[in-house]
Amino acid sequence: MPLIIVSADDFKQGDEISQKVAGTLGYRYLGRDLLHYVATENQVSEEELARALDEAPGLLTRRARRQRLLGLIEAACLNVLLDDSVVCFGLAAHMYVRAVSHALKVRIINEPEQRAEALAEAEGLSVDKARKQVMRQTKDERRWSEETYNLDQTDASLYDMVISLGTLELDKAVEIISDTVGYRKFQPMTYSRKLMQDKALAAAVRRELMGQFPEIRVEANDGTVVVFIQSLKKDQRKKQELVRQIAGGLPGVRHVEVHIIRDLVGQAAQSSR
Amino acid sequence: MSGNLQVLLLDDEPIVGRRLKPALAKIGCEVDVFEDPELALAKMAQKEYDVVVTDIRMDQIDGMQVLEFVRERWPRSKVIMITGYAMMSLAREAMEKGAFDFIAKPFKPDDLRRVIAKAAHALGSDIDFDVVEVEKANG
Repeated sequence: MPLIIVSADDFKQGDEISQKVAGTLGYRYLGRDLLHYVATENQVSEEELARALDEAPGLLTRRARRQRLLGLIEAACLNVLLDDSVVCFGLAAHMYVRAVSHALKVRIINEPEQRAEALAEAEGLSVDKARKQVMRQTKDERRWSEETYNLDQTDASLYDMVISLGTLELDKAVEIISDTVGYRKFQPMTYSRKLMQDKALAAAVRRELMGQFPEIRVEANDGTVVVFIQSLKKDQRKKQELVRQIAGGLPGVRHVEVHIIRDLVGQAAQSSR
Repeated sequence: MSGNLQVLLLDDEPIVGRRLKPALAKIGCEVDVFEDPELALAKMAQKEYDVVVTDIRMDQIDGMQVLEFVRERWPRSKVIMITGYAMMSLAREAMEKGAFDFIAKPFKPDDLRRVIAKAAHALGSDIDFDVVEVEKANG
């Protein structure tokens, strides 16, 4: 059965809809609880993982660390999404499960005015102040996705369906999503399952290597893994061997190719010494 | 369904039929191979196949038209789409039009055999896919 990936401009509403859809269809719900598992498995703090998902990077953000945390979440999330019948929310999966045809991608939006009113009431703010906060949240949300995945997550073209809670009741949204996922076009097939397996394998390899190679890109195809890393010319062979050794030991990896992207900054620094 | 699984394989690249026909015969399929979609359609107008495996991108008649023809003429037949130009929109279109499965090229003969075995199962007849596995294990 298909996957449902939900993204929302209001976390609480997105979470509620996702849980209700999972309950209606008898699917597994995959949400922020996963962070507890990721934190325990990798000896990082759950709060730090949540911050990486929620906060756009600032001037003082350690970007390599943030990328690593997001990579840990992505690998764990994709591993669960290899199974069928999952509703996923709050783990940024809409950013990395884009081309998979058996994943129904849904965006839940709300009218800014309604969000401001709800925020003003919940936090005892003036409507004007709440309005500004909502505008800031929208801007931050956009910046988060652009800086992390080079995509604007508020762009409707990333989704199969955009539902406005300004027009529809929350329960109606649940009903529409539950009905839509029954369309034949969202059924898993050999091609889409393989794509998901390739993504999960690439994420698992990346997770293992990110600690040593922060600027890493990994592609996988049917057990063949292609790794792109930066290196100075003099370290190239040593690094290639290390990548082959680490990646080659992972389950599902049959062959490893390592491509070097010249570390031009490092090269320049070295030659000026 | 009685006897061997009747399979029609349509791909305008001759190598595909040459390679896959013996692979499918090993699991007990009777395979008719076509490179010309028009000839394949003419044959299918007369004969009901259990499984039709068709490439998507071909000259004159494409795989989607073949799929539509089979779904209308022989609704019981299972159609498996294969393509070297796989993408999400095409995969979804094929499934929506009633394809049984969609496979991206290149693939291994085992990948297709596995899907054919699933199709046979859906038609109420089981193929002993393990026979091939055992043969491979024994070298």
